[in-house]
Amino acid sequence: MSTSALSRQFILDRICAAILPPAKDLAGAAVDYAALPREYIRRGSLSREEKLQLMIKRLREYDAEVIETTPQELPAAIAAQLKASGRSNFIAPAGLPVEWLADDFHWTIDHGLSTDEIEQTEGVVTAAFCGVADSGTIVLHHSAEEGRRVLTLLPDWHLCILRSSQVVQSFPEYIDRLPQPPRLVTYISGPSATADIEMTRIKGVHGPRFLVVILVRDED
Amino acid sequence: MSHVELDPRFASPFPQAVLPVLRNPQLRKNVAHAIDVIQTKRGRLVTEKTDWQELRNSAAAIRSHVLENLGAYLEEFEYRCTAAGGQVHWAADADEARQLILELLRQEKASEVIKIKTMTSAEIQLNPFLQAAGLDVFETDLAEIILQLGDLEPSHIVVPALHVNRSQVREIFARRMGLKDLSDDPKELTNAARHYLRQKFLTIPTAISGANFLIAETGSVAVVESEGNGRMCLTLPRTLITLAGIEKVLPRFQDLEVMLQLLARSATGERMNPYTSLWTGVTAGDGPQRFHVVLLDNGRTSILSKPKQRQTLKCIRCAACMNACPVYRQTGGHAYGSVYPGPIGAILTPQLMQMHYAQSLPFASSLCGACYEACPVKINIPEVLLELRSQVVNQERKQTGRFLDPLYLGLRVANLLFAWALLFHAAQWAGRLGLRLFTRKDGWIHWLPSVGGKWTQTRDLRGLPAQSFHQWWAARAKETK
Amino acid sequence: MRASLFITCYNDTLYPETGRAVVRLLEKLGVELDFLPRQTCCGQMHANTGFRAEAYSQAKRFVRLYRDAESVVIPSSSCVAMIRDQYPGLFQELGNEALRQELAVLLPRVFELSEFLIDRLGVEDVGAYFPHRVVYHASCHGVRALHLGDRPYRLLAKVRGLELATLPNVDRCCGFGGTFSVKNAEVSSAMLAVKLQDIVSTGAEYCTALDNSCLMHLGGAMHRQYAGMKTLHLAQILASTEEAQAEAAQ
Repeated sequence: MSTSALSRQFILDRICAAILPPAKDLAGAAVDYAALPREYIRRGSLSREEKLQLMIKRLREYDAEVIETTPQELPAAIAAQLKASGRSNFIAPAGLPVEWLADDFHWTIDHGLSTDEIEQTEGVVTAAFCGVADSGTIVLHHSAEEGRRVLTLLPDWHLCILRSSQVVQSFPEYIDRLPQPPRLVTYISGPSATADIEMTRIKGVHGPRFLVVILVRDED
Repeated sequence: MSHVELDPRFASPFPQAVLPVLRNPQLRKNVAHAIDVIQTKRGRLVTEKTDWQELRNSAAAIRSHVLENLGAYLEEFEYRCTAAGGQVHWAADADEARQLILELLRQEKASEVIKIKTMTSAEIQLNPFLQAAGLDVFETDLAEIILQLGDLEPSHIVVPALHVNRSQVREIFARRMGLKDLSDDPKELTNAARHYLRQKFLTIPTAISGANFLIAETGSVAVVESEGNGRMCLTLPRTLITLAGIEKVLPRFQDLEVMLQLLARSATGERMNPYTSLWTGVTAGDGPQRFHVVLLDNGRTSILSKPKQRQTLKCIRCAACMNACPVYRQTGGHAYGSVYPGPIGAILTPQLMQMHYAQSLPFASSLCGACYEACPVKINIPEVLLELRSQVVNQERKQTGRFLDPLYLGLRVANLLFAWALLFHAAQWAGRLGLRLFTRKDGWIHWLPSVGGKWTQTRDLRGLPAQSFHQWWAARAKETK
Repeated sequence: MRASLFITCYNDTLYPETGRAVVRLLEKLGVELDFLPRQTCCGQMHANTGFRAEAYSQAKRFVRLYRDAESVVIPSSSCVAMIRDQYPGLFQELGNEALRQELAVLLPRVFELSEFLIDRLGVEDVGAYFPHRVVYHASCHGVRALHLGDRPYRLLAKVRGLELATLPNVDRCCGFGGTFSVKNAEVSSAMLAVKLQDIVSTGAEYCTALDNSCLMHLGGAMHRQYAGMKTLHLAQILASTEEAQAEAAQ
């Protein structure tokens, strides 16, 4: 038996001996788990519009640019933001809707690109799974239209398309939307930052220094 | 700065270790400034979060529940993580964990490794061990780089370099990165770190991380960070090794809704930290294709076996306790002689050492309770401190040298005096007589010998009144008769 | 209304004037006060320094002594916290069922002074007169263990002539901490220096609190530093009237 296997038995035996009365099995634990107190707020009380305004407010608080648009205007809004960025070389996840790939820009589609190839691009455009208004969090589950994790990490500029129907007020409401837990997740609540030097907040250490969010009002 | 000892086996006891710190105005100012910034932000956000106490109650309950069912949840985590393509290893102690990680790195033929900050790796002293084995270890958190390049020790578990100011950082970076014209502007310093690390992220194929949470239901690991170096280490390399204490597990993905609302507010005074990453085993085409989790005991099962002390393991390493602690605010972290300082360190460190070391730490507290009030998982730190104090005293009871300890003697004698009112009153009379020697004309005592001298170092003491309260009461009763 | 006064070991020895003020105050409010002469200590010092067996013997003695008291009034929030928070654990670990029962019936009858006045007597205006600028130091045990809340402030608000200063960082520990003050004297003093800064900055003439332990520590430094402020227990302010102003403060 390997050291790890021996230690596994050693540790589990010690855990078993440590808990008296003897611990339950997983099924028994599940019963206790279901009875744990959960009196915190699970559902926010803001109206739909207030919730969206809060999301926009929080995004702007951490210096993300927020543009509102309608589904019809979306491709034009994307083109306008790409132009305003002053960049020309963009990367898109393989599943990004084709209508979003604005003309007059150089697009690299991620069909398993190397790190070096991604590093050469100037910006990335993705969708999102959800937005949590309380904290201005953008939730990425890295689906085909959200892209692999590295796509929203290396480029310096990230344009995220967020539908208003995807915005919830609280984190528990996001959890409630999950059919099952996601395998890969990134929660973005601000550009990278450090306060390690004298507690002075410096933004943009690693990861995109610029975040632009287009909020598509798809519920009106 | 002179070398700071953070190995509890060799560190000076807390009352001695604080002395150079208390005499260092720069360090005290840096610490107080950092603490005040976090506390102000935290205070605002806690007031804003109207269900804060309800969240704490749930978090405390979830963490207690996990500890009571730790075996079942760890086995579930192992099963799910393995099914998702991860490999789970178990290490009984620090030595095993180090050997295991080295072996995994050797299998990768790795000569260098990038690291995300993890207190657990500092606990097992991983870096010096790997370096001695010939590997280059690169820390990637800004604070950890500052400490690594400056050959300094961490003093806080979330903001480890809070005791270092900008000119000190400038000096370190200029020297170690060869940047002669570097200014002390934090923005420029941060940029220097960004450039220093970029190539390392893109080229070094092996990374080591810790874990904030292990999710049993899915076999996932969650890492919470601010800078993005975590995301770099967690997605770019070919191989990832995650080191985690066995107590880090949560039952279900849903439990993140409680923990994540509490963690950032407690740790840095933000509603949510910039980046949180969660991954499950190995995902083809995205991130490391070889993933190992090393589950570490290193004294945790010993703590688990003690019902009064078990709550120590609820800790989610948020540092709210040390941010709230008035002792820590004056001393910073180094005085605790451990990688875990502050209130949580005062209870965790001696317990991880099976009470063989760090016996001064449970006494490094005025028992004010601010830590308990701030703790998002409601660890009653004062209660555990008192339990550990009694264990330390019970150790002292067996030592022959105990009669040379004036405080020990004094307390044993006082106990006798308190058992009989007659003796207590006689002692008061003797005290009045004896202290008259030290009482000045204005009725105050300015100097006392021995233990009393520790009081009179900085405080006067009013002399004992000629008549105690009970004597006054008795006299009054006689008068009215 | 009858009550038994537990003066505390250190008040008996060092601050009898606080006891006298409590007596004057409560008797004026019509309380029939008694004092059990066999009382000594609640055991806090021993419990907090790790001497649990010793603390237990003192706790046992306390519970037996006050078995028949209608109420027990204690002018010290840390002692009440000891009795309320630590006695149950001590008796669970070292005591027996009979003792645990005795404690259970005694606990609801134990009151810190401001609790006794507001909760038991239902009084906020005790007819006090103290024409000075005063700052109130909120001891940690009072705030976090007893959750006294605004009780002391409500009492102070009714004292005629008194000007209450606002204390910055009011929830921050003064650094006394019992034997911590000598076992970690330097850190205790560093915390004291910081606390004193806040207190002195209020420009008050007097610093008051519900615990003479904190005041001994704060007042000791004030005296050493010629700080121009004195300390006195809240009981002394509440017992102060035009005819009989508070006994010489520290």
